[in-house]
Amino acid sequence: MLSNHRLHIIIVGCGRLGSYLANKLSHDGHSVVVIDNDESAFNALSSEYSGFRVEGDVTEFAVLKEVKPDKADVVIATTREDNVNLMVAQIARRIFRVPRVMARVFDPKREEIYRDLGVETISPTSIAGDEFLKALKKQPIIEKAEP
Amino acid sequence: MESKPVLIVDDEKNIRLTLSQSLEPLGLELDTAVNGEEALAKLKEKNFGLILLDLRMPGMDGMEVLRQVSRLRPDIRIIIITAHGTVDSAVEAMKLGAVDFIQKPFSPTEIRDLVSRVIDREKLDEQKADDYHSSIELAKRCIGDRNFDAATEYVRKAISLDPSYPEAFNLLGALLEIRGSNLEALKHYRAAISLDPTYEPARRNLHRATSMEPKGTITLE
Repeated sequence: MLSNHRLHIIIVGCGRLGSYLANKLSHDGHSVVVIDNDESAFNALSSEYSGFRVEGDVTEFAVLKEVKPDKADVVIATTREDNVNLMVAQIARRIFRVPRVMARVFDPKREEIYRDLGVETISPTSIAGDEFLKALKKQPIIEKAEP
Repeated sequence: MESKPVLIVDDEKNIRLTLSQSLEPLGLELDTAVNGEEALAKLKEKNFGLILLDLRMPGMDGMEVLRQVSRLRPDIRIIIITAHGTVDSAVEAMKLGAVDFIQKPFSPTEIRDLVSRVIDREKLDEQKADDYHSSIELAKRCIGDRNFDAATEYVRKAISLDPSYPEAFNLLGALLEIRGSNLEALKHYRAAISLDPTYEPARRNLHRATSMEPKGTITLE
């Protein structure tokens, strides 16, 4: 459970990450809106998903307005493209003043810029990289692998 | 009306769920129906005070349910759930006494606030309503009672108290259109837009009312 308070969360992109978050957050009792350009993406949502589904291109401002980000507590951008995620996040933060905005950013070099704008970024690349390094440090390489 | 149960009518399970969850904190007795037929059947069993009705449903569509409910139980208040891009049937809905609309997707707070407003509207004391918002609420209550003349008076009163809200002008335009005073109606839609060029309901009404479309509709939301 994230919190006792029921949040209104907009998730942009219904791919593996977006649908995973949508299913979990909806299951936890939050009010969720998922938006994706491709209707078939919603098949990834569980049958218990009790939130909204909106089909549309979020890079069009009219579409973004339609999901009423001004009423959201959280916006999470999970499309495949860093630039789209960052654009949506910036607009959510600056124009719609959403209290918490999060974006997945694949390229770690971009993270710094957006943290300064109040967007929480998660970079799978950085995280995976750190985990690899941690794992390497745990077990020193003693001998060569068998042929 | 506060103690009367609320009926949620929507073919989509996730909408029924999200509405039930959102309205839980209000402590109202809630019931659901998956289509028009079930809704009308339930009307015979329970004395509902409010119905949340999705316009777009397969089978008996929302407008038909609205027509039936309006005929059988004109006292029941109705909130209409719309989706973006649906053909507005708002003027027909308003003639049948439905004046509250909410567009999907909506936050729990939005639907809770609307339901509370509709419920509180019943308790409004006409003698004590001396501000813009109360006058608009009374106008809407009159529309719910199909008393369009009284509704018009309350909207005019609201405008005289505060002429800065596009909503009042748009609502007045809609009432005039129902009455058949189309030119007057246009003036009021234009007034709403001049107050706020981005006010969508009035823009849509004006566009519809000034184009040669056979199927016209009035937008309130």
